[in-house]
Amino acid sequence: MTIADTIIEETPHAGSLYLDSFKPRLMDWTAARVFAAKNLKIAMRYPANFLIWGVLPLLWLAPYVLMMTALGGPGTSTSFTELSGFNDFVKFAIIGWFVYQYVDASIWSVGNNFRYEQFSGTLEPLFVTPVPRISILTGAALSDSIQTSISAIVLLISASFLFGVSYALTAIAPIIVLLLMMILALYGFGFMVAGMILVFKDPSVLTQFVDTALFTVSPVNYPLQALPTQARYVAYLVPSTIAIIVIRELAITGVFELGQFLSSATGLGITILFFWLVGIASFKYAERWTKNRGSMGGF
Amino acid sequence: MNGDKESIFQKMWKREGLRAEIRAINALAIKQWKVEFSYPLSVLWFIVMPFLWFIPMLIAGNAVVGGSESAALGELVGTTDWLSYIAIGTAFTGLAMSMFWGTGMSFRREQSVGTLETLMTTPMKRSTIVWGSMMHNLQHGGLGVILQLVAAVLFFGVTINAWGILPALAIVALSILALQGIVFALTCIVLLAKQGWMIIEFISSALMLVAPMAYPIAILHPMLQYVSVASPLTWTVESFRGFLMYGFAAPGIMTAIVALLILDVIYVVVGILMFRYTERYVRRKGALSQF
Repeated sequence: MTIADTIIEETPHAGSLYLDSFKPRLMDWTAARVFAAKNLKIAMRYPANFLIWGVLPLLWLAPYVLMMTALGGPGTSTSFTELSGFNDFVKFAIIGWFVYQYVDASIWSVGNNFRYEQFSGTLEPLFVTPVPRISILTGAALSDSIQTSISAIVLLISASFLFGVSYALTAIAPIIVLLLMMILALYGFGFMVAGMILVFKDPSVLTQFVDTALFTVSPVNYPLQALPTQARYVAYLVPSTIAIIVIRELAITGVFELGQFLSSATGLGITILFFWLVGIASFKYAERWTKNRGSMGGF
Repeated sequence: MNGDKESIFQKMWKREGLRAEIRAINALAIKQWKVEFSYPLSVLWFIVMPFLWFIPMLIAGNAVVGGSESAALGELVGTTDWLSYIAIGTAFTGLAMSMFWGTGMSFRREQSVGTLETLMTTPMKRSTIVWGSMMHNLQHGGLGVILQLVAAVLFFGVTINAWGILPALAIVALSILALQGIVFALTCIVLLAKQGWMIIEFISSALMLVAPMAYPIAILHPMLQYVSVASPLTWTVESFRGFLMYGFAAPGIMTAIVALLILDVIYVVVGILMFRYTERYVRRKGALSQF
């Protein structure tokens, strides 16, 4: 018997056995885990990236800090203290950039995940696997959260050292809880961006536009009070806004207030629910739209 | 018919001289515009990008100053009009980014779409490909500079000295030479490292950091101040802003122009030599089309 005969004989059996046991699910955690492990394996092949992505944002953060120093004087300004309630704008900005790294990652990595698969030529094979697409995106998001955490910590440590600031670690547990909740909400947001990129293809413009718009309304370098009134409402639609404000306060003051924590956790819980529902719905719609037009593999 | 083909072929090989290269540069710039117009959203984005980047800076500046005049900036540079200082300084960002990214990655872009080897077999100089891309990005980025300045004047009340417009354009022309030197060096990195985008991101961000776009170099660490002085971007931004804010009465303008001229010569010569050597090296290694 030839090898070809063996394959022909075995294939229908193997295929039917798998397909017989296959049941469509909303989420396949095994697939998500496998996909996360695959992405992490690729990331580990380029270890310098972790360091570079930790240091590179320093070059984007530093111009803001230097500009604020040149305009307001070293470290503090009356106007900034009146607006934000904090007297050190350098300390204020660094923690904002630390948290914003996760927003950046949700847009660039999770949102663009299928685009990267498309470039690697693996998008269509991936889409014919009997796995919910959301599991693939969740896997990408999980691996990305690990990578972003490493880079964000490198950024926080190096920026704190360079600009001579320090943060209180007394409220580290609530900070971690809020950060995790924000990351979860950002997954939903990333699904939404992934859907948009499936439809519009050219990710550079769309991604940069979304990123710049979110960065502008987010309280990263300045407090929400610095924004025009309408922009403040838009800011609360960004999944990271509540987290940036509360995490910053906990990290700078080190004072934990249960009431404030619970209300922000509730706010973030609602944000998670909202963005997951909207994210999954918009991704599914975008996927159907793209498939109907036969433009899944198009550039 | 056959005779016609031969004559075109012979004409192609006979082409030489500066005019032929300028025609090729122009054709490459037009080709890139045609490609970009296939993605109209991209064209729009790269034009409005510097302006959008300016808005967070404006909000941050307003948060720390709380008004239209900054006493701290006045002590450092002699003007309290922080809005004009930053708006004019950062207007140059788009052009510089366009040059670094668009031109620096020109070889990689041709490589990605599979036209690099075809271009390399045409009877034009290799560096013409880079100059052609530069011409396109100069037009593209230049449009962004104009738009940002117009928007800054119309929406934010920035005042521009009309007498300084022509000299400021002359400064842009001078800066292009030195920037082209940097771009040649970036092209070398792309040719050698292939996926050189991270290095370009790093170098361009570092050059932007030490350039006095939104703050004077006096605010930088002394070590970074030395780097800043050696960067053509520093002198370009200083003189560009000086002319547009004060006209011919701009302080320290002669020093900035002389420094820019010296850096032009150094950067262009070093850049062209690096490019020549790298291009030959890559071709000798047969690694031109490798990814």
